[in-house]
This record gives sequence, structure tokens and C-alpha cells, in this order.
Amino acid sequence: MAQDVKSSAEASPRWAMVVDLDRCTGCQACVIACHAENNIPVVGEEQAAYGRWMHWIIIQRYWEGEYPNVKARLMPVMCQQCTQAPCEPVCPVFATYHNPEGLNAQIYNRCIGTRFCGSACPYKVRTFNWFEPEFPAPLTEQLNPDVTVRSRGIMEKCTFCIQRIRRAEMDVKAEGRQLADGQVQPACVQTCPPSALVFGDLNDPNSQASQLARSHRSFRLLDELGTDPAVIYLKGGETNVPG
Amino acid sequence: MKRLSRRDFLKTAAVAGVGVFTGIAPTVRRVALEPFVRPPEEELPGRATWFASTCRQCPAGCGILVRVINGRARKIEGNPAHPLNRGKLCARGQTGLQVLYNPDRLKNAVRQTGGREPRQFKPIQWTEALDQLVSTLNGLADRSRVAFLGGLVPDHLVALVSSFLKALGAPPPVLFDLHTTLEGRAEAADLARRWFGKPQGQVQGFPLPMYDIARAQVIFSFGANLLETWMSPVSQSYDYGLMRQGQAGGRGFLAQFEPRLSMTAASADKWIPVEPGTEGLIALGLGRIIVEDNLGHVGSHRDHAYLYRNVSVSDIAQASGVSIETLRKLANVFADADRSVAIPGGYLAGLSNGAQTMDTVMALNVVMRRLGREGGVFLPHQVPAEQFTSSASISPFSEAQSLIERMKAGQVDVLFIHSTNPVYELPGWAGFVEALDKVRLVVSFSSFMDETAIWADLVLPDHTYLEGWGYQGVSPGADRPAVSGQQPVVRPLYDTRSTADVVLALAARLGGQVAQALPWSDEVAFLEQSSTQLLGTSSGIYDARTPDGFWSRWRQHGGWWTEKPLRDEPEVSGMPTGPLQVSPAAFVGDPQQYPFHLALYPSLALTDGRGANQPWLQEMPDPMTTGRWNTWVELNPVTARSLGVHDNDVVKVISPQGELEAAVVVYPGIRPDAVAIPVGQGHSDYGRFAERRGSNPLSLVAPLLGQAPGLPLQWAATRVRVEGTGRRQELARLESLDGAGREKLR
Repeated sequence: MAQDVKSSAEASPRWAMVVDLDRCTGCQACVIACHAENNIPVVGEEQAAYGRWMHWIIIQRYWEGEYPNVKARLMPVMCQQCTQAPCEPVCPVFATYHNPEGLNAQIYNRCIGTRFCGSACPYKVRTFNWFEPEFPAPLTEQLNPDVTVRSRGIMEKCTFCIQRIRRAEMDVKAEGRQLADGQVQPACVQTCPPSALVFGDLNDPNSQASQLARSHRSFRLLDELGTDPAVIYLKGGETNVPG
Repeated sequence: MKRLSRRDFLKTAAVAGVGVFTGIAPTVRRVALEPFVRPPEEELPGRATWFASTCRQCPAGCGILVRVINGRARKIEGNPAHPLNRGKLCARGQTGLQVLYNPDRLKNAVRQTGGREPRQFKPIQWTEALDQLVSTLNGLADRSRVAFLGGLVPDHLVALVSSFLKALGAPPPVLFDLHTTLEGRAEAADLARRWFGKPQGQVQGFPLPMYDIARAQVIFSFGANLLETWMSPVSQSYDYGLMRQGQAGGRGFLAQFEPRLSMTAASADKWIPVEPGTEGLIALGLGRIIVEDNLGHVGSHRDHAYLYRNVSVSDIAQASGVSIETLRKLANVFADADRSVAIPGGYLAGLSNGAQTMDTVMALNVVMRRLGREGGVFLPHQVPAEQFTSSASISPFSEAQSLIERMKAGQVDVLFIHSTNPVYELPGWAGFVEALDKVRLVVSFSSFMDETAIWADLVLPDHTYLEGWGYQGVSPGADRPAVSGQQPVVRPLYDTRSTADVVLALAARLGGQVAQALPWSDEVAFLEQSSTQLLGTSSGIYDARTPDGFWSRWRQHGGWWTEKPLRDEPEVSGMPTGPLQVSPAAFVGDPQQYPFHLALYPSLALTDGRGANQPWLQEMPDPMTTGRWNTWVELNPVTARSLGVHDNDVVKVISPQGELEAAVVVYPGIRPDAVAIPVGQGHSDYGRFAERRGSNPLSLVAPLLGQAPGLPLQWAATRVRVEGTGRRQELARLESLDGAGREKLR
């Protein structure tokens, strides 16, 4: 058993997401796919008006310039799965920790709700369950049985759909094969209509994600903080047509 | 174990042989153990079953795969094999589960007791409901007084209902709803028919033109919100991604011409905020410059010069507010590209000069020889089976109006309503509610108690799309002929019944001609027979030796499509004989009294309002304003300042027809002379998530010149004024208004 763990850790992938801002249209398909896959509740109008939200991925919109030369930039932001994650060392109960595949995992039943991780996160991608989630029956039937429904007092965030990673890993193991590039797709990547999101293994230099990460357009959010995120953005909006 | 000796073996064999010959049963029998609870055959604990079906959240007809565990649908994903959406799905498609598992669904058939006002609904048995329908239909002196009003009706039901009405001797179904109105679907089909129709071609259901976004180098979109709700947004978004980063010839260029910066315009390289109603003039000016300066690499433009004979570019620049230099630059960009395409969008149809504007936009494609060329304009290739060629055609507004007139005149005794909500979707002046009063029996097939269903005498809920059968011709098409197949992925949750089965049962009970026209025992028999029309088609992705085999592969794949791409090149048969004309657009409301153009737009989440009962869609932030759960009014910062209002101030928007109140969103991406409001909220009925939330801006839309007959609904031709109320209402939005544009953790 111990042998097993060791060998898998050595060959373990470094999961990463590439977000091509040139393809992204801001259509929110990823947001809803994430809700569906990860049993994320809605907060309702009253709480939403106070500024609460429960999304593991959001589309941030920034304005540039003034009318009529105004430009809106849309950018999907989810947990950046930092290699040097500021959220990890502050957790007093080790509810958030670094797994061998480089993911910032969140162990819900360890979480005691100090919200230190949320304060430490420079990307503000963690959301806290202030209330018990409500799924009026029969909306409970839609819940994904692979994912825990978080209760009140728990911090939650994007997991890169770890349940889908595990499912794909178990499937290929049962078939005695290796994971192929593109075989693991988080729900947001699976649904993204313009294929702006690409998921893959950075340890495999030939994966599509690795190739895109080497693009001259690539950058990382708040790179200067040294968090070394596993989400790589590709800059958009360069036009070669005069207009 | 004891070794079996030869003697023992022979003895046993002899005894067994006697047993066989005499029919004596062996002393120990094998009996299968029967558990008390028997799991369905395809269920493996902890393993998901995936079923291919069709999304019904909009008319596009994307293929879906539904993940089912223990008999419950858990997740909807795009079908990677489907040629339209190619594995992708939009936010509304993902939310389909909340239609199926919506807590406010009707659980059984109901009838209204005590007239239509007091809203007393009592459950009714299906047999009783059918009895009532049969006796009403039998009691009619004149069966032509039956009418069917549909919206997002699947093609198989349109086919069945059309045969049913024809056999009854009643007029064909009217298919009209707000979603298709806002995307100008009927008018887009009209445009294609005007330009590419054969002289004796189809009158109804002309295929919609397709624009090859993926391979275009330059796209000029005139108000087509092709990444949001227009036509086939998932397919178009997929192609947009390819246009941006997947092309061999480099990154494509998208210019968007519209008064408000939509999400599509935000993704565009250039947004040109045109004065509403002058889109056609701009297309005309671009064409004139191309022809006059002989731009592009397609040879002489002499043949097309007459189209732009009397066009003055400087007049156009003045009228539209787009400078001559900009027009020249744009004309050069469009003409210099090898693969450019101009797309006429849906909101043009809501303007009084919509048809002319769409013509001038299409003319750009003709002048630049973009028909049937890579990155240009195509027509879909027909599915090679009669059943699927006459795909459902959307009725123009005039047909809905004439139905209302017939109802008002007391010429309709029985009205069937399926998947449309005219009481909410039509402006009050269309008179639908008053017309309902004159109809003896109103039957709704709605799954929810919406604004129209509450006026019905009988509500006979159809299955939701994840519980029901059907098929949907893909239009506007994928790059090949395709029919999306719909099948139940879960057992129906409640005592609902397929409307197709209700129609077939009615036909059987009525007997005679009607029963002969609809001989199928049930919906599935009809679908099976329809699907096997494609049996033996060599071009399909699959074939089978038997109809049964074909039908099972149909369900497995979720429809039928060809293996190879196949599109038709449009041939211009209806070239304008004289110069192109664009008359000035007419607007309701005196500009002095009503200084702003009302720019309605379909909400990305709720589209025309049918998504309003799904909590995920309500909570989904609008990408541009990040607003949720309510209605808002978008004002240019300059306009807001001049009115003295700020974000979250409640204003009153007043048109010659009506007024509404909503919170302000100061929006940098809108012309100062326009006011934008999303459509979709303001439901008075339709379940707990939709009701009493925001306002329905259709109440502002005024009839243009008494809404001349034959015109589409002029939903973009109203002027309004805005007044402050002094009140504030915190709009639920995702962005924090700290000015930095960054989220704060709360």
C-alpha cells in the first residue's frame, strides 16, 4: 500500500487550467456547470443584494475607457490552485492542504469556519456558508452524489472537480491504461462553448495545457505575490486588423 | 471429493436418461432468488448511465448527454458527437435539471372551476379531461373553430398537431413566442426566402441562412448577439472560439454595430454604437464605398453598382453619426479580407425598416461574393427524409394578430396553448387577455402555472423535456444535415402526460377522418416510424438492417446526422431589381417628450422570461452588469448625471404605452440617447423563483402606427423618458461598487 502511494506520487500529474481570454465570451456556462456539478446552493435575492454570492467560478468584468471608446474585459476567475498557497498555512485545523497532485484540497469535515483562509486568499475565490443550504424538494434530486453538500459554517471553493479527476483515474486504472491528455475535464471545461478553458497536466510537456502555457500570451494573476498559481491566463484582444 | 467411477457414471447417466425420457423432474431444481426490491436492469450501484437527448431550453436543438444515477438525472452535458454543439452547452442548457426538478411543477391535470377570474383549480383525472375535450370537439358545429397556439414546440408535435388540425378542417398551428420574436427568426427566414428562394419554392419553413463564423476573417454583425441568445448561441460560440484562435490565417476580426454594448459587442474588436434605425444606412454606405472604390479582390463591382446608385456617403455619415473616415476604414477592412461575412441580427426585425436593413446587410455578402464560400453564407442541406424536411416554421407576428382577431370575433371555440406564454410575452395592447374571454374552452399544456395557464379552463401538463419524447430539426443548421432526437432520461415524476399522446388519443376517440390521419397507437410508434424514414441512407453516421435496429441506434446517438459536412451554396434568385432603399426608421413617441430610445434586450439567463423559474439562472450574474434576480435600467454615465441619478436609484421609465420602475445601473456601454432594460423578469405567476420580481418591459412597447398589418412586432421602436423617484433599491449584483472592480470577501 505504502509502495503504491509513493510510486503514484512520483508519477503524479500537476493539474493546471489554461484560460484563453481571447476565446472567453463571458457567457456564464462554466458558472452554471459548476453549480450543477458541485452542488453549490443559491443565496437568493435578499442575500445577493447584501453582496453575498456562492460561486466557485465567477466572470469578473472590468471597464476600460469611456464611451464611445469603452471596452469591457471579461475574465473567469476560480481558485488558482497555488503552489505556494497563502490559504494553507493559516488554517488551524489543516482543513485546507496541499495534495500530491498539487491541488489545494479542502476537507469539509475538518473545517471549523475560522475563515482565515478566505482572508488570506489574494484572489477572493473562497466562499463561506453563512446559512444552511436550501434545496426545496425535489431540487434535491439533482444533487451530484459524488460531492458533499456543505453545511453551515464551512468554507468552500473550486476543487478542479477532484471527483471527476478521481473518476477518470479509477476508470483508466480498471482498464489498465494511462490517462490520456484531455480525458480529465472539470465541469467548466467540459461545457465551455468557445473552448476557452483547457485542463491538463503540466508535468506532461506535450499536453495541450502545457503547450498553451508556453504561449507568449500567458500570464498569471497577481504573479508578483509569488503564489505560483496553476491557472494560466492567455491574454486576449490583440487585433491585427486596423479599424 | 470421491472420484467418480465408470460404473457410477453409467448408473447416473441411465437414471438421468430415464428422467429425460419420462419427463420426471429432477429432485433438486434451480430456482432464482427473487429480491423484494428489484433494481432497474441498467442500474449498477454507484455507476452513472448516460442518455443522449435534446436540449429544449431554446429552439437551437443542441444534443445533450444526461448523467443518470439511481434513476435520477444529475447533470446535463453537451453531446460531443453532435455536430451542432460539439459537446458544449450554455448556462441555460446546464440548468435544464431545474425544469425537471422544479418545485413548482404541476403534478397533475387541473380544471378551473368557477370561471376564469377566481383561480380555483381542482385536480381532474386524465380520462375525465379527455372526455371533456372529446365531447367539446364533438359538440362543435364547425370544427374549423379550433386553434393551436404554440411556442417552443418540438418538431414531432408540430407535425402531429398539424395533421390533427388539418383532418379536423381547422387552420394550421400558429407558432409564435417572444424568444423567436427577439431573435427575428421569422424575419431571418423571410430574408433567406427573398434572396435565395426558388420561384415556386417552399412558402413555409424556408431554411435559415447560416454564417460560417469559424472560418471568417472579418465579421460585421449588425445587432446579432450571436454569443448570447440569437439562433444557435452554443454553436456560434464554438465557432467564435475557432475564429479567434483556431484559424490558420490568424485571428479573426469582429465588429458589432448596435446601440448598446452587448456581451457579444464586449467580445468584439470594435463596437460601433449606431443610432437605432440607421444600421441599414451604414450597410448601404459600406456597400457604396466598396462598389465606388472597387475594393476587394473579387473583380469588378460593375454588376452591383446599380444597388447603390443614389447613395450619398456623406448623408449617411451625418444620419448615422459614424464618420466618413470610419466608414471608409470599415469598408476597406471588410473588402480586403479574403473571407468576410455580414450578419443581420435579430433586433433589426424590431425596427420599422427591419426588412430593408436586413436586405442591405445581405447585399454586402452578395457584393463580396461570400455565398457558399468558406467563411461566408450557406444554406443547410436538407435531411433526406420527407418527415424532417418540413421543419417547423415560426409564424410572423401578423399570424398571431390574426388569431387574436379571430378569437375576439368569437370565431375560436377551442384554443390549445403549448410552450408559449402570450399573456406575459405580448404587450397588453395586442389584446390577448381580452380575446381569451371570447374563447369557450382554453386548454393549456404548460408544466407550470404561468400567466397564460391561469386563464385556461383545463391545464393538461406535458412532460418536461427530460421525461418526454420527440425530435427537433436543427435550424439554423450545423455544418451538416442533422435531426436531434429527444428521449426520456428519467421516468416522469408526476401524473403528467405527453401532449402528443393526448392528441393521438383525441384523434382515436373522434374517429373518422381524424383517426385515419393519425393512425399511431402512441407517440413512440410515430417517432419510430419517422426515424426509420432514414433507414438505408448511406450518408448517415450509422445505419441498420432492420427498423428496430435503426430506432435503437437513433436513441443511442440522440438523433441522426450525416458523417461528412454537407452545406448548400445559396443561389441568388431574388436580386433586387432597383437600388437598395432604407427608409428612416419610425419610432413611437415625440422626441421632445420622450428623449430616449428604449433598447430592450433578451436576458442572457432568462431569455424571454422562460428561464425565470429556475434558481440557477436567477442567481447567474448578467455578464455585463453583474445584476441578478431583478430588473434594472441601464443609463450612460452622462445621461445619469444629467438626470441626477446614481447606481441603485429607482427611476420611472415612461413610454407612450406604459411605465415601470427599476433600479439604475450606470452603464458606460450605451449611447447617451438610449435606455436599455433586460427582458425576462416581472412575472406575476410562474412559480416561487419568478413571481413578483422586477418588471416586464414589454409593457413599455407601444404599437407603431397602430401596428400596421404584416409588420413584425416593433419592439425596438419605442421612445421613453426617465424620471427619478427619489427612492433607492439595492440591486443584487456580483460586482462591488467600490470603483476598483475587485471583489471583496464578505
